[in-house]
Amino acid sequence: MRKLRAWFVRLGGFLGGKRRASQDFAKEMESHLQLHIDENRRQGMSAEEARRNALMKLGGVAQTEEILRDRRSLPALESFAQDFRFALRMLLKNPGFTITAVLILALGIGANTAMFSVVRAVLLRPLAYSQPDRIVTLASLWKRTGHKGQVSAPDFHDWHDQSTAFDHMAMYSNWDVPVTVGSGASTIAEYVSAAPIASEFFETLGIEPFVGRKFTDDELKVGSAGAAIVSDGFAIRSFSEPQLALGKAVVVDGKSLEIVGVVPLGFHFPEKTDVWLTSSVFGEETPSRGAHNYRVVGRLKEGVDLAEAQAQMTAIGARLEEKYPDSNKTKSVAVARLRDDMVSDYRLTLLLMLAAVGVVLVIACANLANMLLARAVGRTREIAIRAAIGAGRGRIVRQLVTESIALALVGAFFGLILAYWGAKSLVALAPPDVPRLSETGIDGNVLLFALGISLVASLVFGLAPALQVLRVDLNSALKQSVRRAGGGTLADRLRRGLVVAEIALSVIMVASAGLLIKSLIALQDVQLGIAPEHIVMAETSVPSVSLDTAKRAVHYYTQLLPELRALPGVRYVGGTTMIPGHTSSNGSYYVDHLPANFDITSPNAIFTVVTPDAFATMGIPLQRGRDFNDGDTYDAPFTAIINEALARRAFPDQDPIGRSIFCGLDSMNAMKIVGVVGNVRQQGPASEPEAEIYMPYLQHPQPGTNLRVVVRTSTEPGVMTAAMREKMRAVSPDVPAKFSTMEQSLAETVATPRFRTLLLGIFAALAVCLALAGVYGVMSYVVGQRANEIGLRMALGASPGEVLRLILRQALGLAGAGIVIGFLGAAAATRLLTSMLFGVKPSDPLTYVAVVGIVLAAALIASYVPARRAMRVDPMVALRYE
Amino acid sequence: MGDKADVWQGTLALMVLKTLEMLGPLHGYGIARRIEQTSGDLLSVNYGTLYPALLKLEQEGYIDSEWGQSENNRKAKYYRLTRAGRKQLAKEAKEWGQTTAILARFLSPGEEQS
Repeated sequence: MRKLRAWFVRLGGFLGGKRRASQDFAKEMESHLQLHIDENRRQGMSAEEARRNALMKLGGVAQTEEILRDRRSLPALESFAQDFRFALRMLLKNPGFTITAVLILALGIGANTAMFSVVRAVLLRPLAYSQPDRIVTLASLWKRTGHKGQVSAPDFHDWHDQSTAFDHMAMYSNWDVPVTVGSGASTIAEYVSAAPIASEFFETLGIEPFVGRKFTDDELKVGSAGAAIVSDGFAIRSFSEPQLALGKAVVVDGKSLEIVGVVPLGFHFPEKTDVWLTSSVFGEETPSRGAHNYRVVGRLKEGVDLAEAQAQMTAIGARLEEKYPDSNKTKSVAVARLRDDMVSDYRLTLLLMLAAVGVVLVIACANLANMLLARAVGRTREIAIRAAIGAGRGRIVRQLVTESIALALVGAFFGLILAYWGAKSLVALAPPDVPRLSETGIDGNVLLFALGISLVASLVFGLAPALQVLRVDLNSALKQSVRRAGGGTLADRLRRGLVVAEIALSVIMVASAGLLIKSLIALQDVQLGIAPEHIVMAETSVPSVSLDTAKRAVHYYTQLLPELRALPGVRYVGGTTMIPGHTSSNGSYYVDHLPANFDITSPNAIFTVVTPDAFATMGIPLQRGRDFNDGDTYDAPFTAIINEALARRAFPDQDPIGRSIFCGLDSMNAMKIVGVVGNVRQQGPASEPEAEIYMPYLQHPQPGTNLRVVVRTSTEPGVMTAAMREKMRAVSPDVPAKFSTMEQSLAETVATPRFRTLLLGIFAALAVCLALAGVYGVMSYVVGQRANEIGLRMALGASPGEVLRLILRQALGLAGAGIVIGFLGAAAATRLLTSMLFGVKPSDPLTYVAVVGIVLAAALIASYVPARRAMRVDPMVALRYE
Repeated sequence: MGDKADVWQGTLALMVLKTLEMLGPLHGYGIARRIEQTSGDLLSVNYGTLYPALLKLEQEGYIDSEWGQSENNRKAKYYRLTRAGRKQLAKEAKEWGQTTAILARFLSPGEEQS
């Protein structure tokens, strides 16, 4: 405490009042002497003797004053402030150097800070729920494949009832659904994400409606009228104020529900949900253990950790496996923290980007170290003079480090400005479905991070010149001319080592970027099995509640499609539930007859409902048989069209046309195969085509009420939307439509690879530019150092061409060493990329050839200018220095 | 200066506090003289070294200072014990007493043997 008080008093002394304190001390000494002399005189000494005795007893006043001065203020702070002022003066005196250095630093710090702010928002910041670390997701785990998936209702109830590790566990599902509010002219119909939920959902997440209430137990029972809770945003959008939403009706998929609550701003779990409704309105939950229709969240009991919960759930899973082998064989339970689960798809990409941007900073630091080293060599005489007049080595090193810190702080300031814009661009560039990305911003932690990396960076790049100082030999430094002094082998080796490291790191970056670019090109070149150009799509959903209403509802499409076909510029029109990247349903299929026992291990196919002409519209070739037509109605014999993959697997060397096939999409009717179509990569370009069964929409009215209307135009697809919207509204105003083009939708399937490729490409380019600057710096320096030697060579008859080759050879030596080391690093680093590569191996030879080409070219360009300068060395001038 | 100064400063501070307690407000010269007299010839150092110790005590809040007139009409800076200083003196005197007692007990058998 007392020490602290003293420290503050001294801090006050540091900040001001130095002169007064000093005068005060002089007066005190004066009075001390006077008192002493008075007393000596009283004891009978002569005036002179009295004075001498007093002075002697007092001792060295200057020495005391020195101690007092240190004691009054904080000497460490004092010299730091002095160094800092001096450092800023030095930086201002040398604007070319300073601007370059600050630019490089700002780039490195800015890029890192921007990346970190994204990583923090997405990966690090805790969720905004109460005690978020206790919230976990529970999923079915198929032990054979390691695949995690949704949960069946009976499994959930067993998990819920048999486990003790959880305070709450809740089952929910979610889907995009058209929702209408209001009536008559003020009807608003829009697509929103809705989540049917059962009991304990809000308790699990620790969320309370801030207006209204949660669902009652009665509302959650089958047979009740049900109810809805909406998000703050939805309430404001639809009713202008949260309070006004209470008691209003919201129509979800044809069912009218009363709004009983509004949840706080920012709560949208799962994903982007705006409406939560009682799942009871859809009737009983599906009773089969094989129907994995639900998702599950749980809240861990206080003090229970993830491993304990996982162990308990694994035991329950094993019990169920034994009890229900037909449905639960090889099925276990996976428990994961909700946050980890949400971001698992992006974790690797983001961490990779953070690492890449870290490498850029390291290269930037190497560059700065090089620049400072060159300056330190130039300042050898200044430093030697300081040392000669009594500055300790520690003091000089401290001053150089302070200069680095000053540089880093200025760099951090501009870096933060850069990071602010950088983070915004990152958010704009990132794939749209990265969770929590919108929370990205510069906050205290991000500032701390920026400051932290700046200081670390300043130590890294400030160390080299400081080390150099420790080796300066005072005698020779003072005696010799600036240019020759201090060109110690240590500094030279350090500079070359730094450049080699820069080149090596660039090689790693360029190789990684090259592999990702090649993967992206491969991804975009993949033949999806459709012709995506000139297709407009409208996501639609016709409200229906039962089979009967659905049978009437699908006539919306029967009416709409001919209307659209009649529009000018339209070539084909159809409707489908599958486009690449989006499938709606899949499950087991059976050929010829249904087995007595459903076997869950039988092969799977994707189920797709289409209208006639959908294949022609999408450009899927009909290979055999016929397309669906208007005769494939609900009352006609059921028909199906299969894809090539299914034909090959189920009917090898046979003709599938006329055979029967069964699947449990919505009915178990036998379907006669009438055609075979080409394969489509249903899950996007990175996937292989899977077996697929297409079924006519009139025979499967319930799934058939949610079709994407696809239109192939002969004009630009974008211009069609207005005319289409008008036609659709004329047929039925209650059906909301979401327009896009096939090409837009396909672009989304490669959004993540494109994002990381773009970023890594930018970072790699930055790395190469910085390395280029590094090579340029070192070669310029080398040319300056070797000017005498070059002059001598030229005087003895060397041609300018030979001099050029001499310098370039030295540059190539550096580049070669960097490339060899870089190759070793890249071999290790690119292995981390394996999961992100597509159609290219981490050791792709072509990529590496390109890398060598790029890096060598950069090194040659960077050393060409200094080499030209060497060619123009005037032998006479150079020799005169000797 | 090193370790010796630290020990000296530690005990010097205690002597200063005790002196101020005994004699009331006093100037630097007076304190120095008093310490010298009390210790006899054993402690004979430069009076100047007293002043850093005074500054330290002042910064820690154990004493404060004020310019005033000496008995023979000289201007002098007078130091005065604060309440915190009085407490500190009691505490340190006690600790010092204990230390010396322990040391005395520790050293006495050795003396007997020799």
